[in-house]
Amino acid sequence: MKAKRSFQDIIFSLQEYWANNGCVIMQPYDTEVGAGTSHFATTLKALGDENWNVAFVQPCRRPKDGRYAENPNRTQYYYQYQVILKPAPGNPQELYIESLKSVGFDLSCHDVRFVEDDWENPSLGAAGLGWEVWCDGMEITQYTYFQQVGGISCSVTPVEITYGLERIATFMQNVESHFDINWNGREDEKKLTYGDVLRRFEREFSCYNFDVASVDMLLDHFNDYENECKKLLAHNLVMPAYEQCVKANHCFNLLDARGVISVTERASYIARVRALAKSCCQAWVES
Amino acid sequence: MRQELLLEFLSEEIPAKFQRKAISDAKTAITGILNDNGAIFDKVDSFVSTRRITLRIQNLLPQTKDSFQKKRGPKTTASQEAICGFLKSNHKASEDLIETDGYYYLNIENKGVAICDVIPTIIENFILNMPWKKSMKWYLEDQNTLSAFWVRPIRSILCVYDFSTIRTYVKSVGITTDNITFGHRFLSPQQIEIYDFNDYISKLEKNNVMLDFFKKREYIDREISQMAAAMGLCVKIDDDLLDEVTGLVEYPFIHMGTIDEQFMKLPSAVLSTFMKVHQKYFTLTYPDSVAAPFFGMVTNVPGTEVMYEGFNRVLRARLSDAAFFFKEDSDVTLEAYAQRLSNVVFHEKLGSIAQKIYRMMSIASTKEEHRVIALCKADLMTQMVGEVPELQGVMGEIYANLQFEKAEVCVAIREHYKPLGASDGLPVTKTGARVAFFDKLDTLVGFLGSDIYPTGSKDPFALRRAAHSIIRLLCDFDGNVLEGETLSWYITTLMTSYSDQGVALNQDTLVNVEKFLTDRFKIYVADRLNIGPDVVDSAITNVDTFCFDCKETVKKIERLKTLMDLPEFSSIKEACKRVRGTLEQNSDDLPLVSVAELSFKDENMINVQNLVLKLEEKPHDFGIITSVSSAILSAYDNVLINDPDPKIREKNFALLNRFSEIIKLHYGVL
Repeated sequence: MKAKRSFQDIIFSLQEYWANNGCVIMQPYDTEVGAGTSHFATTLKALGDENWNVAFVQPCRRPKDGRYAENPNRTQYYYQYQVILKPAPGNPQELYIESLKSVGFDLSCHDVRFVEDDWENPSLGAAGLGWEVWCDGMEITQYTYFQQVGGISCSVTPVEITYGLERIATFMQNVESHFDINWNGREDEKKLTYGDVLRRFEREFSCYNFDVASVDMLLDHFNDYENECKKLLAHNLVMPAYEQCVKANHCFNLLDARGVISVTERASYIARVRALAKSCCQAWVES
Repeated sequence: MRQELLLEFLSEEIPAKFQRKAISDAKTAITGILNDNGAIFDKVDSFVSTRRITLRIQNLLPQTKDSFQKKRGPKTTASQEAICGFLKSNHKASEDLIETDGYYYLNIENKGVAICDVIPTIIENFILNMPWKKSMKWYLEDQNTLSAFWVRPIRSILCVYDFSTIRTYVKSVGITTDNITFGHRFLSPQQIEIYDFNDYISKLEKNNVMLDFFKKREYIDREISQMAAAMGLCVKIDDDLLDEVTGLVEYPFIHMGTIDEQFMKLPSAVLSTFMKVHQKYFTLTYPDSVAAPFFGMVTNVPGTEVMYEGFNRVLRARLSDAAFFFKEDSDVTLEAYAQRLSNVVFHEKLGSIAQKIYRMMSIASTKEEHRVIALCKADLMTQMVGEVPELQGVMGEIYANLQFEKAEVCVAIREHYKPLGASDGLPVTKTGARVAFFDKLDTLVGFLGSDIYPTGSKDPFALRRAAHSIIRLLCDFDGNVLEGETLSWYITTLMTSYSDQGVALNQDTLVNVEKFLTDRFKIYVADRLNIGPDVVDSAITNVDTFCFDCKETVKKIERLKTLMDLPEFSSIKEACKRVRGTLEQNSDDLPLVSVAELSFKDENMINVQNLVLKLEEKPHDFGIITSVSSAILSAYDNVLINDPDPKIREKNFALLNRFSEIIKLHYGVL
C-alpha cells in the first residue's frame, strides 16, 4: 500500500488539483455555516450567467450532530472541501474521479459508485439533482447539479462537488475514528492527530450547543439578524445582508440543538430563514 | 442485422429506482414516435442499464408509409383568390376540391420519405417524450443555453441503422450521434465502435457491461443465494433492494462480509434495516431465520481485501450508531415519548398527532386497543426512528416489549401500520387490525372532510392507499374489524371528535367518505377478481350494499363472476332482462305475497313457481338458476304474462318479481 496521506496532504492535493483545473482557490467563509453551500461563493455566485470556478475548504458547524467527542464519526464541527464549476463542464464526473486519484486513491482496488441522492437545502431554498459518491460503501462526496438557489432557477447549471474530508482521510489512512486521523503526517513524537487538534473543541462545543448556550440571547440574536438582513437589503447591500441571513440560520441551528424549538416552530423558523435567503438571492440577481 | 435501428443514450448514472420503469416507458415512447412518423417496423426492444438506455428497432423499412390527409381549406363562400391560393400551395387543381359542411377540402397524399431523414426527428422526440419521475437541465456550451430535460446529463448518443452510422446533431442535448459507445466506467472506459445490436451486446459484455436489467437481477439473486447456501445460510431476498442493487452496477460482483459479534445483540429488524437502507447489503440468516453474522453485497468491480475491509468498517460505524440510539431510546419510556407528540403536526388543518390519538380513542372499545393507541405513535420520537423512518412500528414493538407490555399490545403497535402496500400482509391480531383501521379511517375522514382529495397521479397524503388498506382490512381480515358497529357509526363518531377539537369538517363528510371508499372498493374488487368494472357495477347497486357488509359483497361478486362464466349465462341474462323489462313497464305497486301461496293454472307458470321456490331455498345453486331461467323464457314464449285479467297479471308479476329480487340480492342486476 502507498504511504498514508495526512489530513493536510489531502487538502494540499485537492487545492493543487482544482487550481490546475481552472478553479480559483478561496478561503473558508469566516462566519459559522452548516455547509460549504452557504458560503457566498456558492449560494450567490451560483446565480447569474457568468463563469465561476472555485474551490475551498469550509469548516461546517452542525450543532445538533455533536456527540461530546464520543462518537467516532459524528461531530458538530467538520471540514468540507467544496468545488463549484459553473457552468458544469462536459466531463465533471471524470474530473472528479481524477481528483480522487490525485489525492491518492487507487481506484483499481476500490468500488466507487454514484448513488442517487437529490439534494435539498430548505433553508436556502436550494435544490438539485445528483448523487452521493460511495467508496466501498462509504459516502465520501456529495455531487449535485444545482437547479435552483434561493428559489431562483439557475440560468447556467453549476455542479457542486462536496468532499467529506474526514471521511476521505479515515478511508485513506484506514482508521476507525475521525479522532485517529493523522493530521500532519508525522509518525514520530511530533505527530498530531485530529483528536489532538480538535477533541477539546468538540467536547466543549457539544456542551455549549446542547446544554449551556443562552436561549434568550439566541432568540434575540435571531430576530436581530433577521431585522438587520432586511434593513441591509433596503440599502441594497446584498452581501452583508446575506451574511446576516447565514448568522440567523446558525442561531436557529443552536436553538434547535438546545431542544427549545418544537416541530411546528421549526418549520416556521426555516421558512423565515428561507425568506431572507430568497430576498438576498433575488437582490443579487437584480443588482 | 439488416434494417435494424440501434439507438443508445449514454448518460451519467441513472437513479437505480427509476431503471425498471424506464424500460417499459422507453418502449412505449419510441413506439409512439415511430408510428407518428409513419415508420414501418416489426419489433421494439428496450434496455436500461446503469448509465444507458438502449433501443433496438427490428425490420425498420428504409421508407416511411405513404399517408393521406384530408386538409381543410377556405369556406365555400371565400374569395376566389383564397381558394386559388389553397390549391396552389398544395399543388392541386380546382377539380380536386371536395365540398363538405361549407368548407373546401383536398385529399393530400404524403409520399413516404427515407427513414434516415426521419431518424433525427425520432431521436429529438424521444428525448422530449421519455417520461422521468424527476429530471434536470444542464448547460450546453456550444449553444449557450440549457438542454432539454433528461434524468441526468446525456454524454453520447449511438445511432446505427442497417450497419451504417448515422451522424446527426441532436440540438436539444447538443450532441452529434455516432457509432460509438463506452464500456464499464472503471473496468473498460474506452471507446467502442458498434455495427449492429448483436455486435453491441457482445462488445458490451466483453467490456463488463451487462445490458439486460432482468438478466442482471436474476444473476445477482442466484449468485447470492448460492454463496449463502454454500455456508448453510439463507438470503432474505427483498425485491426492492434487489432492483436497486441491480441498478447500481454495470456488472455485478457478489461478495460476503461479516458483522462484528458485538452488534449481534441488536434486534434483527434493526440490523437488517440499517444494512438495507444505509448500505444496500442483503441480510443472511440461519435456516431457522435467526440472523447470521454475515451479509451479502454486490459491487461494480471485482473485490479486493482493502475493499472488504472498507465495507466491514462502514458497517461497524453504522451499527455503532444503531447501538447508541438503541441504548439511548430504551432509557425513556414510550409514555414519555408519547407525551411529546402534541408537538408533532399531523396536518396543519387537522392538528397534532396527539390529537389524532385522542380521536382514535373515541372509536376504540377494549382496554388493549386503548393501550395500543396510546403508545403506537410514540416511537416516532425515538432517535432510531428519526434516523431510519422505515423502522416505525417495528421499534415501537421492540421498546414495548422491553417495558413489559402485554404481548398482544406489542404486536399490535407494529401491526397498526399494516397493510403498507398492495403486497403487504394484514395484521394478525384483531387489536392490530382494529387500530390500523381506526388510524386510516381517521386520516380519511379528516382529509376528505377538509376537501383534500387526491388529484390525478398526485396523492401526497396517500389517501388512496389508506382507503385501499381499510377495504382490505374489512374484506380480508379473518375476523370482524367493525365489531358490531356500522362503518357509518365509526365515521360519524370521528367527525364528532374532530368537531370537539374545533376542526370544522365539511357537512357531507359521511357521504363523501362512503363514496370514496365505495369507488376504491370497486377498483379493488375488479382487480382482485380480474373482472371488468361493469360486472362490479352490476353487483354493487348502491353505496349501502358495500357499507353494509363488505365481505358479503365480495362473495356476491365472486358468485356473479362464476355465474357469468357458465355456458348458460346468456339465457339467464336474457330471462333477467325480460323480467326486468316487464316489471319496469308495469311499475305499479307489486303485492308482497309469498310465492307458495300463489295459485297458477298454466303449467308453464306452475313450473316457474316450483323452481322459484327451490331457488328461495338454495339461491346459490347454479343448476336451479339455469332451470328457472329457461322456464321463465319458455313461459314468455307460451303465456301472455301481461294478461288482460288483472288477477292473473298480478300473480304473474309477483312471481317474476320474487325471482328478480333473489337474483338482485345474491348476484346483482343482470
